[in-house]
Amino acid sequence: MKELPQTVFVVDDDDAVRNSLRLLLKSAGFSTEVAASAQEFLSTYDAAQPGCLLLDVHMPGMTGLEMQHQLNVRGAAIPVIFITGHGDIPMAVEAMQHGAFDFLQKPFRDQELLDRVQRALTRDTEYRARLRQTERIRERLASLSPREREVLDLVTQGKANKMVAGDLGVSQRTVEIHRAHVMQKMEAGSLAELVRMMMAVAPPQ
Amino acid sequence: MIAPTPDVLALLEATFDAVVIMDDRGRILAFNESAEAMFGYRAADAIGRNVSMLMTATDRLHHDDHVKRYLGGGDARVLGKGRDVWVCHRDGSEFSVFLSVGRIPNSEPPQFVGFLHDTHLRRKALATLDHERQRNRLYLDLAQVMLVATDRNGIVQLVNQRAFRVLKRTNAEIMNRNWADNCVAPDDRAIARASIRTLLLSANDEPQSCEYHVRASDGEDRFITWRGVALHDPDGVARGIMLSGEDITDQRRAESEAHKALERMNSVARLATMGEMAAGISHELNQPLAAIANYSQACSRLLRVPSPDIPEVASALEQVSVQALRAGEIIRRIRSLVRNEDVRRETQDMNDLIREVHALLASDARVHDGRLALDLSQALPKVKVDGVQIQQVLMNLVHNAFEAQSNEINRAGHSGGAFEVLIATRPTPEGDVEVSVSDLGPGLAGDVEQKIFEPFFTTKATGTGLGLAISRSIIKAHDARLGYRANQPHGACFFFVLPAQQEPHP
Repeated sequence: MKELPQTVFVVDDDDAVRNSLRLLLKSAGFSTEVAASAQEFLSTYDAAQPGCLLLDVHMPGMTGLEMQHQLNVRGAAIPVIFITGHGDIPMAVEAMQHGAFDFLQKPFRDQELLDRVQRALTRDTEYRARLRQTERIRERLASLSPREREVLDLVTQGKANKMVAGDLGVSQRTVEIHRAHVMQKMEAGSLAELVRMMMAVAPPQ
Repeated sequence: MIAPTPDVLALLEATFDAVVIMDDRGRILAFNESAEAMFGYRAADAIGRNVSMLMTATDRLHHDDHVKRYLGGGDARVLGKGRDVWVCHRDGSEFSVFLSVGRIPNSEPPQFVGFLHDTHLRRKALATLDHERQRNRLYLDLAQVMLVATDRNGIVQLVNQRAFRVLKRTNAEIMNRNWADNCVAPDDRAIARASIRTLLLSANDEPQSCEYHVRASDGEDRFITWRGVALHDPDGVARGIMLSGEDITDQRRAESEAHKALERMNSVARLATMGEMAAGISHELNQPLAAIANYSQACSRLLRVPSPDIPEVASALEQVSVQALRAGEIIRRIRSLVRNEDVRRETQDMNDLIREVHALLASDARVHDGRLALDLSQALPKVKVDGVQIQQVLMNLVHNAFEAQSNEINRAGHSGGAFEVLIATRPTPEGDVEVSVSDLGPGLAGDVEQKIFEPFFTTKATGTGLGLAISRSIIKAHDARLGYRANQPHGACFFFVLPAQQEPHP
């Protein structure tokens, strides 16, 4: 599957800061989109767009923290780098607790910014790859027959074919056939790989 | 029996005293109206009878003997002297009168006239007086203030219930003893004595006030505010003093608590103002500074490529200068803010201003494990300043001084013995007031010394670089200069010289 290009989103109400960031990011080769307010950003943002977000904490209207909350509600997992001024450390801590990727204190050195942006984009790539992986696993799981699903659940609990046969009241031979279908449909090369797939899609504890 | 002449009788009726005239055998010759009223006999009934009927049983027995002895050439017991005697009313009740007896001149056989002054009335008057006293006593005791009267020597002559209660003593433990020695807290006795002296010397009846502690029998001191007057006799000589005192211990305690709380709040407010101002300024300034950093860093990146986009770089550089001007504008606004702030210049004692913030500064010292010392000259002229602003500057300088030393100690990794900040005041040769804050820290390196007053220059990891700049603005607004000199033997010394107030001051 082809990756969409990554975009660095900048949300800052200060024109100079916003435009200078755009220029700096552009000079470093990043594709950039800017917004002057949280509302403006949220009205156009598509969670499918990969990238990261540079977000000013202090903004009139919706603050950076409130916007982060909105993103969390939407389930948008874009990594957020907060930009803070002096003395905003408590706010930064709160942002981090709510899943912010990082924060930067104004004014900052370009390399510091670019390094963090790069790390955030890498995280986003990995995250989206993981997301696609679990989606594929779910698709494969959905293709299993009810009996195959039962066999899968029992073998991933560590039960031998003989015990699975006993549990389901079928012959051991039947279990072996179902199990072969499961491995094939799930595209799993080994039992260990199958267990990892199931863990990846298991709901978090 | 020879009756008195009519004009004598007329005279008798005119006197208020009872008058009885008797002959040498004790027979009553005249009995005036007052006598009728005193004894309950009508004159007609009394005249002719023996005067002893007016006497008590004991006197009756001896009366005739006294008269005989006198007539026989003996000494007179009553004659010409007068004394209190008990007499007997017609109804049998006995009462005392003041009796003076005289022999009527040229009477032969001798006649005697007795004047009986009704001490019964005097007693009644005395009883009324007593009643009056009791009522006064009641007033005294009902009074919600302590009442104490002393004589000229400070010996207590009167004291009321309220005073007993405050002093937790009985009447006997207070009365007829020296007030100051007995009831006043030892440290305040001199004040108490002086106030009594002052009152006694005062020419008029104007009450005078003073405050001192009394000591209760259990050792507790109560703070009393007194109003006193001198008690003068009719000749205008002060005979003693009367004090009324109100126990204001609890009130004072509450006031002092409230005062302390207010002071704490004020101190916090002052610090907060400075801190908030610095935070607000730093946020304001961060915007253009961040933009300048971004633009200039972008420029250097844009120029790194083989064929740079020159118009783009030029436009970014244009933005850099715009943002630098914006930062400058913010600074200008801050300066004018500090200058135009509602400056309330008042005549102040610089030492008092320092003492007011001393507690707060000392707590700053404790935070840094240091010591704050004061060396205040007593011979300072007054200055006309905005006290709060000058105190802000002081706090800023002292805070810097402690930070400089603790940073140095952290760097050097030892706890050098001397770790203190000294606030000193002294009059300059020109007669102005110099205030200095010196420390024993590392002092300033030459290059740092040049920049120390520049806005945003800081040697501190978390500094805004504005403290000294604002401080200098404040001092400059007071027509003075904030300066730096090296401290001896080492360390930094910041000082400012405030012009002495021009107007002569009492």
